[in-house]
Amino acid sequence: MSDHLSKQFDLELENIRTRILQMGGLVERQVLAAVDAFSSGNLDEMQQVIGSDREVDALEVGIDEDCTLLIARRQPTARDLRLVMAISRIVTDLERVGDKASKIARMSQKLHQLGSQRIPRLSDVHHCGRLASDMLQGSLDSLARMDVDAARQVIGADKAIDAAFNAILRQLITYMMEDPRTISEALDIIWIAKAIERVGDHATNIAENVIYIVSGIDIRHSAVAASKTDEA
Amino acid sequence: MTVAGRWCTRIVLTGVLPVVGLALLVAAICGVTWGWAAVAIGFMLVVMLQTRRLALLAAWIDGPQPADVPDSGGAWGEVFRKLSRKLRLDARALAEVESSLRSFSEAMDAVPDGLVVLTEQHQVEWANRAAGEHLGIRLPRDRGAIIQQLVRAPGFAEYLSGAAGQSPFFLQSAAARSRVYSLRAVPLGERNTLLVSLDVTDARRVEAMRSTFVANVSHELRTPLTVVSGFLEHFGDESAMSPEQRQQYARLMSEQTRRMLSLVDDLLTLSRLEAEDAPASEEDIDMADLLAQLRAEAESLSAGRHRLEVSCKGPGLRGNRNELHSAFGNLVSNAIRYTPAGGEIRIRWKLRAGVGVFSVRDSGVGIAAEHIPRLTERFYRVDRGRSRDTGGTGLGLAIVKHILLRHQAALVIDSQPGAGSNFRAEFPVWRLRPQLSTAAQADGEAEVPAGR
Repeated sequence: MSDHLSKQFDLELENIRTRILQMGGLVERQVLAAVDAFSSGNLDEMQQVIGSDREVDALEVGIDEDCTLLIARRQPTARDLRLVMAISRIVTDLERVGDKASKIARMSQKLHQLGSQRIPRLSDVHHCGRLASDMLQGSLDSLARMDVDAARQVIGADKAIDAAFNAILRQLITYMMEDPRTISEALDIIWIAKAIERVGDHATNIAENVIYIVSGIDIRHSAVAASKTDEA
Repeated sequence: MTVAGRWCTRIVLTGVLPVVGLALLVAAICGVTWGWAAVAIGFMLVVMLQTRRLALLAAWIDGPQPADVPDSGGAWGEVFRKLSRKLRLDARALAEVESSLRSFSEAMDAVPDGLVVLTEQHQVEWANRAAGEHLGIRLPRDRGAIIQQLVRAPGFAEYLSGAAGQSPFFLQSAAARSRVYSLRAVPLGERNTLLVSLDVTDARRVEAMRSTFVANVSHELRTPLTVVSGFLEHFGDESAMSPEQRQQYARLMSEQTRRMLSLVDDLLTLSRLEAEDAPASEEDIDMADLLAQLRAEAESLSAGRHRLEVSCKGPGLRGNRNELHSAFGNLVSNAIRYTPAGGEIRIRWKLRAGVGVFSVRDSGVGIAAEHIPRLTERFYRVDRGRSRDTGGTGLGLAIVKHILLRHQAALVIDSQPGAGSNFRAEFPVWRLRPQLSTAAQADGEAEVPAGR
């Protein structure tokens, strides 16, 4: 990062970046745990994911406040301003990802409590979840290193998740047509798959923000991001 | 004479004297005015010459090559030569330092543990190759990066800022999910921190295996013990039991104790097999004889519920007869236990493509593909309830695998749910004893179906 006359300012900026990446680490863990718990049916893990959502919310509020304070006190310009603005957007994305993770966990819980397992726990869902958490990890790595190439790679990977989501959908439709008793279970799995797909979208948003910080170009809703689905 | 003095003399001799001499000559011939003019021109020439050499030096110093020292005589020449000599010496010293640094960093890269040197602000200063594999930190990309931004696992930041000398932090790697690393921060010098990462995946796995094994054994022993102790409580109350009941309970109890005995026997067999690498003694085994024995056992176990077919077309086999008998017997008894009445079981010994193959094929329930790789794990059960009903200890195939390994043989399992299973033990050619095959073949040529 650039050198400022005030060493303290540098320190504050780095601190915010470290804190948001810490929050990212927590959310990363949540997503992975939620997806694994869906496949393994581990109830403790699901409960843990749901429980740690509060922690993520608290971090969101804290980091947002830090950003506001920093703008008010230091009046950052150029790249520093972009960094602070982007971070306050990324915080929102990460908080949403946390919500999705606990949604996956809650749905898995519900599926588990339902007891019936007319539809096998599709390995595609697990695969899709791994893809999404890889993307999330990639986007946070690119934020840590301010690496535009890595960010672009993350944006490119979103297509794979969309394809995987569509494949899951087709499979579930087949189950539902064969046996209407599977419908409620299939719908729950669709919710889970949708949540995973949204995690991929949020990871894309984070990567776009990284490009914005480094190059100052806002690529949201542009050609690179055109294949993205709209905010649900 | 001092160095400065020597230089002054030199300048006087090469610069001042010729100019002054020339000027005096001109003054003598053309008059004083021309003499002064000659002085001025002479000094100008000297200055121009020096400036040119200065320019040469400046050009050379930009990319000094010891070989092409600008060719200039006199005082400048010496400066050039000295400079070039110093450069040569410096280059040599630098090369030495570089090569020792390179061999040092090569050594550090060869260390299997990840090493990261952190500054006071927890910025990455240096990292070895293993750190790249463990934590994804690679130089020069990540030099100066703050480590908590790269290693984001919850709790790591707190660990790093915590007191030194605490127990290590366990990191579930994000790069390769299945791996676990233990991280330890050690103070380095006055300000820096050395972060050491250790791959503890295997240690953890062994630990988990050990504890599941103990849990399994205690569970397997506890179940029959509970039954026995339950009956024993009844026995205390004499009046409440008829002689028939008493007899029946005694029978059930002895059944349970037999089960415990066989479990302990199997455990002892397994631990003995594990303790030694090779069988205590080996002999040439007459396979026809062994198969006849296996068939007799199979018939008594099956009690006429299955169609048995035994064929022996292969050579003799070198190995420990007791162990192989127990391994083959295990495969046969498994086949009988998992094949419903009326099914067919084929036991064969033959030579196929130079490999001795002992196979047991049944028409039983079969095994789903996902269970096959795990069958030889201790206490692994495809169907928890049923296999215990049929009297298995859960250790049979683990024992088979161990025995076959000691005989350099491979256990191959083909099976499909509903389509029966085929368990094969394949022995390498050097274990076969063809000289024994004539008798065996004569015996086994006629397949003797044992069905009823």
